[in-house]
Amino acid sequence: MKNKSQKYLENTISKRFFLLSILKGFVVGGIGWRFFDLQMIENRKYEKLSDNNQFNFHMIAPERGRILDRKMRLLAGNMDGFSLVLNWNKNVNEDEVIKKILKIIDISQKDLHNFYEEIKFNNKKFAKEILITKKLSQKDVSKLAVRSIEFPEVSFSMTKKRVYPQGIIAGHITGYVGPYSEKDNKIKPNNSWFEVGKTGLEEFFEKDLRGKFGRKRNEVTSKGHIIASQIYENTISGNDIRTSLDMGLQAFAIERFERGNNTVVYLKNDKIKKQIEQAQNINYEKKDFVYKDKKNRIVNPQSGSLVLMDIENGEILCSVSSPGYDPNIFSEGLEIGVWNSLKNNSRAPFLNRSMSGIYPPGSTIKMAVALAALENGIIDYNTKFYCNGLKELGSSTFHCWAKDGHGQLNLMEAIEQSCDVYFYELGLKVGIDKIALMMKKLGLGQYYDIEINDKSKGVVPNIEWKLKRDGLQWSMGETLNASIGQGYLLTTPLQLTTMVSRIANGKFSITPTLIMKKSQNRFEPLKINPKHIDFIKKSMERVVTGNKGTAKNYKIGSKKIEMAGKTGTVQVVRISEAEREKGLIKNEDRPWKKRDHALFVGYAPVLKPKYAITVVVEHGGSGSSVAAPIARDIFKYIFKV
Amino acid sequence: MNYKLNKFSEKSFSSIFFSKLSKLNFLIITSVILLGFVGVASLYSASGGYWDPWAQNHIIRLIFGIFLMLILAFLPHDIFFKLSVLSFVIGILSLILVKFIGTGNVQRWITLGGINFQPSEAMKLALILILARYFDHISRIELYKLKTYIIPICLILLPGFLVISQPDLGTGLTIILLGLAILFFVGISIKFVILCFILLASSIPFIWNQLYDYQKDRILVFLNPEIDSLGSGYQIIQSKIAIGSGGFFGKGYLLGSQSRLNYLPEKHTDFIFTLISEELGFLGSISIISIYCVLIISIMKISFRVESLYSKIVTFGVGFLIFLYLSLNIGMVCGLLPVVGAPLPLISYGGTSLLTVLIGLGIVLSISIHDKEVL
Repeated sequence: MKNKSQKYLENTISKRFFLLSILKGFVVGGIGWRFFDLQMIENRKYEKLSDNNQFNFHMIAPERGRILDRKMRLLAGNMDGFSLVLNWNKNVNEDEVIKKILKIIDISQKDLHNFYEEIKFNNKKFAKEILITKKLSQKDVSKLAVRSIEFPEVSFSMTKKRVYPQGIIAGHITGYVGPYSEKDNKIKPNNSWFEVGKTGLEEFFEKDLRGKFGRKRNEVTSKGHIIASQIYENTISGNDIRTSLDMGLQAFAIERFERGNNTVVYLKNDKIKKQIEQAQNINYEKKDFVYKDKKNRIVNPQSGSLVLMDIENGEILCSVSSPGYDPNIFSEGLEIGVWNSLKNNSRAPFLNRSMSGIYPPGSTIKMAVALAALENGIIDYNTKFYCNGLKELGSSTFHCWAKDGHGQLNLMEAIEQSCDVYFYELGLKVGIDKIALMMKKLGLGQYYDIEINDKSKGVVPNIEWKLKRDGLQWSMGETLNASIGQGYLLTTPLQLTTMVSRIANGKFSITPTLIMKKSQNRFEPLKINPKHIDFIKKSMERVVTGNKGTAKNYKIGSKKIEMAGKTGTVQVVRISEAEREKGLIKNEDRPWKKRDHALFVGYAPVLKPKYAITVVVEHGGSGSSVAAPIARDIFKYIFKV
Repeated sequence: MNYKLNKFSEKSFSSIFFSKLSKLNFLIITSVILLGFVGVASLYSASGGYWDPWAQNHIIRLIFGIFLMLILAFLPHDIFFKLSVLSFVIGILSLILVKFIGTGNVQRWITLGGINFQPSEAMKLALILILARYFDHISRIELYKLKTYIIPICLILLPGFLVISQPDLGTGLTIILLGLAILFFVGISIKFVILCFILLASSIPFIWNQLYDYQKDRILVFLNPEIDSLGSGYQIIQSKIAIGSGGFFGKGYLLGSQSRLNYLPEKHTDFIFTLISEELGFLGSISIISIYCVLIISIMKISFRVESLYSKIVTFGVGFLIFLYLSLNIGMVCGLLPVVGAPLPLISYGGTSLLTVLIGLGIVLSISIHDKEVL
């Protein structure tokens, strides 16, 4: 019995022994398979994850290209600065690090805010460098460097700060750079202080200026300590951009433009300071002078635009838009107060008036109307109309600027004296569609390939345009308005300059550019009868040199060099018949917003045209007395007479 | 009883020594030395290429442990039979004691003269010995009666729950698993085993409520490591990355980036096998697992060969203990099991588990020498 049971027991134990061995075999086999799976089959995946742990790559920002003017003067460059950077990863307690740093140096509230935003944005992703502050002084650097052992997670980096040595003078053209945001989704950078061009040339030439990012490979421990670092890819600096602007001229033009016919008063005595405080709606800037008009009132600098263009190659030498802004405020970290005051300024300092400000061209359009009539053979040089001061069309009356009329005059006299009635007649004869065609030929109502993204097309109306927009028929009265540059017609100062350039050039359809020697510009032929062009140019000369010319008071007066042009005065508010009966209120006595725009377009020298100019003074008054002298002084400056 | 048959007559000491030496299982000793060597090398790598602090301590412990193992091997195995009750009682007492004077953030350690000692590890051996003694003592017929198993189940559950309440779920479960395996080995009826499983399964919700939060976390994270990739899941994710990135040949000795850059937690203790897999690759991992297999198979062969039930159970128990250590540890590092905290015998840093295994092996060697062979 015992023997039997013992045998049975041994049998059981052997069986169990066997079963457990099989179990062990399965377990070890399972483990073996698991390792095979992890290390052989999924090896690639885990290698990648391991590399992500071991290395982190950092973009190294390349040095941004400079922006230069035609004489190689610096418009935008880079300045060395020190930044404080946190090598963030999931194990770093940023609050503690910041607390420790704040005990040693000061960091502005705004930078801290941005820093935390960035961390929040980056939440639980891969380790990366996060900017704490860009504004580190030499003193801060040395203070921190001495105790750097306490902050292994923090490192310094040399960064380049964008500077615009010309400041406000060319702000609209250079534009500014700002921190990269998701909106600019053209590129995906890896570091937080990366800046991209936001407006102007900085934006347009972003790719050229930026250069190519380099990469740095850091070997990091799980605690975020960098134990080795090497350059993985070198950076390639951005290209320089050479603009066609002439900063000397630009600076002169801004000063001359903003002054206008007012006088400069320096802020030396307290009387004036008191007067400034009392004055209303004055955008007082921190300058040491103010402007006073003829009635001894303190006034704002004139706002508007001035564009000067080479009529042979379309290069823009000067593009003023006033008021402007200083792009440096963006590189220094924009203060919210400054930003708000600029943004809420009723005169819109951020608007680049030269390219995206749209104005009715007023009488400066008359050359186009005249050319449309001549080209279509509707009139000849001697066709005369009688001006008695007004033109009646149906029930409405259209006035000439001269209340008593100009009497009998021909085309050249009409341009010289800017007779509105003559052009009413002309407009009626030619028709709006043909006028519109000529305007487009001369460059209005279109974009150009100019190197600024922000630009306006303006409006050149015709019958189809109105039908499309309002579903209404074109009326004759609107033709009359368009013929003297009012009504629907809207142009930018750049377009007017282009128009004048094409007239002055006579052969080619010049298009504007902001870049020097842009691959030896080749332009389309203009296809306008040169005789007609010559006639119009003669007429424009008469505007300045003629006895009755609207700009006769503003001759350059040199024997060699004279300018030709056309004045324009644009009514901003409709004048009712009743007001007209009472007699018009003088411009200076109206509120600023209700004053006329003053325009002047022209070119010089008369004998061998070289430059075309447009001056638009917003609510400046009359084109002849406000805009023309500015143009004259600019030419005087250029030709040194 | 068989062990009493082992009588040594008036032979000279040296002849006894050499006859014993010749019976020594050199395969086991070779595997132990090999694994010990791997352990030292890995700990050297874990500290970034320094002997200090782990590798040198490990060498000292190894030398001491192997020496102890050899001494035990030459002792007649009836000594262990006699000591089994005493060792179990001491084990239980120290487990109770550790509740009161234990050190460490969870109370697992007793400090004796500057040496930290973990009673739960030693308890495993004591359990094997007491169970072997018990089953050897009772008559063989009674092995088929269920009531025979009441006492051993108590013997298993008492230390098991003491350890779990430390709290150390991993070691506690190891003890219970070990005990159940021995019960299964001696022939507890299959029906009973199935009953146990049903009981266990139905008590899961109850056990779940008794678990500490960090233990619940570990199990949840095991089921889905991604839920907490920075917290408790971090260990297992990083461990898998390290193993997976090793590939076939590994990144090279001392060149494991995951361990060198401290992405591996506990790389010198529970996760040392991860370091080995990363640096030596699939080839190295499988080789080391193979050495363990050789060790376990050698022990199983002895277990199969010896005659007395006591010897069979003890050798089986030690073999199964090493197997449990191995599979729990490696299963854990490669993400097959939750992170329970099981050391890798002979390789991972930690004195108590090393000594436990070496003492166990010493007893096995002693049995292998002294037990009458079945032929």
